Amino acid sequence: MRSTPSTFELLPIAPFMPHTTMPLATPLLDVRNLSVGFRTDRGDVTAIEDVSFQVRPGEILGIVGESGCGKSVTSRSIMRLLPERNSFVDSRSEILFDGVNLAQADESVMRSIRGNRIAMIFQEPMTALNPVFTIGWQLDEALKYHTKMNRSERRTHVVEMLRTVDIPHPEQRYREYPHQLSGGMRQRVVIALALCCGPELLLADEPTTALDVTIQAQILRLMDELRKNSDTAVVLITHDLGVIAQICDRVIVMYAGQIVETSEVQPLFARPQHPYTKALLESIPQPGPDHHQARLPTIDGVVPSLFELPAGCRFQDRCPYKVEQCVTEQPRLSKEVHMRKVRCFFPINES
Amino acid sequence: MIASLGRLLGTREARKLRRDKGAMVASLVIGVYLLATIAVMCNVISRKDCSEVIGPNSVPGFFRAQPPESRFEVARTSMLKPVMRALGRSDPTAALADVKLGRWKVADKSLDPLRQIVADALVLQHELEKSENLDQDTHLESKLVEFERKTAELIEPLSKQDHWAQDMAMLLGTDAQGRSIFFRAIYSIKVAIQIGVVTAVISVLIGATLGAAAGYFGGWTDHLVVWLYTTFSSIPSLVLLVVIAYAFSDSDAKETLLPVYIAFCATFWIGTCRVIRGETMKLKQLEYIQAARTAGFGSARILFKHLLPNTAHLLLINFSLLLIGAIKSEVILSYLGLGVQSQPSWGIMIRDAGNNGDVIAGRFWQIGTATFFMFFLVLAFNILSDALQDAFDPKHL
Repeated sequence: MRSTPSTFELLPIAPFMPHTTMPLATPLLDVRNLSVGFRTDRGDVTAIEDVSFQVRPGEILGIVGESGCGKSVTSRSIMRLLPERNSFVDSRSEILFDGVNLAQADESVMRSIRGNRIAMIFQEPMTALNPVFTIGWQLDEALKYHTKMNRSERRTHVVEMLRTVDIPHPEQRYREYPHQLSGGMRQRVVIALALCCGPELLLADEPTTALDVTIQAQILRLMDELRKNSDTAVVLITHDLGVIAQICDRVIVMYAGQIVETSEVQPLFARPQHPYTKALLESIPQPGPDHHQARLPTIDGVVPSLFELPAGCRFQDRCPYKVEQCVTEQPRLSKEVHMRKVRCFFPINES
Repeated sequence: MIASLGRLLGTREARKLRRDKGAMVASLVIGVYLLATIAVMCNVISRKDCSEVIGPNSVPGFFRAQPPESRFEVARTSMLKPVMRALGRSDPTAALADVKLGRWKVADKSLDPLRQIVADALVLQHELEKSENLDQDTHLESKLVEFERKTAELIEPLSKQDHWAQDMAMLLGTDAQGRSIFFRAIYSIKVAIQIGVVTAVISVLIGATLGAAAGYFGGWTDHLVVWLYTTFSSIPSLVLLVVIAYAFSDSDAKETLLPVYIAFCATFWIGTCRVIRGETMKLKQLEYIQAARTAGFGSARILFKHLLPNTAHLLLINFSLLLIGAIKSEVILSYLGLGVQSQPSWGIMIRDAGNNGDVIAGRFWQIGTATFFMFFLVLAFNILSDALQDAFDPKHL
């Protein structure tokens, strides 16, 4: 089996370096007790439960976890993209974006916020652009909708955006169709599309998962530069801890719809407190002679189905430290200590 | 405009289409039909030309030599008889001026020479009538030629232009009422194409809009549209067409093509609707449509500006299929007497051929012309839409 080298060992971009210190700035996005569920044929299920976090301008918040743990549902409920017919948001949930509660906002309010103040980048660059329109048309469309710029201003701005995301020959690319671009180029266009109205918050749902490692590094560097230059807040959803280590300031680890640990990047990697975080970190391949012969550790089992959630801790079946209490009682998220919270009765590495 | 047309011709689909010889020939044939349509619309051939009696009844077409029996009939009934009858009137001069057969007029001669010619011709006619069957009595050929020459003297020679027009009108013969089959068949092209284009455009528009809305919004919109098309498609379409045609049979709109349009549009949108609904359901899951939502666009904008253009290939193919369908159905409906009412149509021509016993009598030119005109149009469209389907299929090289 081929193990993909993780980015953060390969790249010289300072890992483990929190970008800035701005814990005191007012949060741009304040998610409080967000619970989202789906109506299904087998009854209602809760996909994410009691998720709370804050993002400040210029900050990159990473959300990490296995497939199906609620990362994408979180970002989609912020954007209110979930199908209203078969999903529901708990009435106590609040998504405060710059003081406006998006969970209760009108569709017209959402339309003026989507794309304009909150933008989103999707995972698959191959299908994220409309195949029948030129790159320029698609960027122009967003500007036409959200700004009052005239035609020539929009064109200048679009070409400028394409240049910002490091697309060579932007004037020529303007007239080209998505199929004429490579995957990395398309993802840059997608980013340009997300950024062209100057959003305050960027939701990036696995923006680099479909890209190879070199392109991934370029895209991450690009996003890092953008937030430095324009103070954009970024929520970066990924299952790649390498990506988290590379550019995030703070991390949320999610498991089965719950936040299990939240911390600043460096302490999380240095001393993971939740067994799940620890297991995730251990399953990153380590290069070097020491690790050459050893089998890569993995986490046994799968994320429990939302229909069959255990009564106690949701990680109990896969946790090596399980005791009686974990089965009977559900752990709560601890109080914040040194910017860290953990959902475990017996956190490891506690100082 | 020219630049975008050039880009259109340079696309992969257009190049694939141009490599296809069958498709190119089919396009050429369709082009000829379209030219004919435009010509009819510019009144090169008017409705009057089609209803006017321009020559003797049931004269053969397809350049077939006339048998002696019918040559005799033509000379007797369409030349000698009308003149003779006019001469017997109380005011022969006025009556003669009224005798008119298409572009033919009675020769500008005084009454006595005309009476003389008629008398001579009648003698010849009597001799010829003694024969049981002129087709077999070859020895009477010279007498027949003489008879034809005599009767022709009753007629004013045509001017060169009129002669040409007459030849054109007679190109494929005449029907039982002496009307030009060629003109009627050409005029029918316009009727067929008009019905085909109008119904195909409207049906595709209805089908695409309803299908896209059903697929995109889902929920009760979807239920409604699906209920609507399952209900409509559970009625046999021909029966529905008949019912709608009958519903209009007493109204003023009967003379126009409106009942036909309504009857066709009521059923033809179903296929397109089904296809577009499915395609929309597939496309709306794709990230670029989701991305359009995250860009803050409203549903209508996403649906019509971002989603429907992605189904353009399906719309194009559906359009050409519906066009053929409409043309064929129009012929069937007109044949049944429920379609086109006051204009020529291939269906009406085929029905006339049957009603007048033309087919049994071996007078195939009316039914033959109508069938061939329709056959080539439908065949050409079938080949072209097949080629279009191949050209837009990315898996087909």
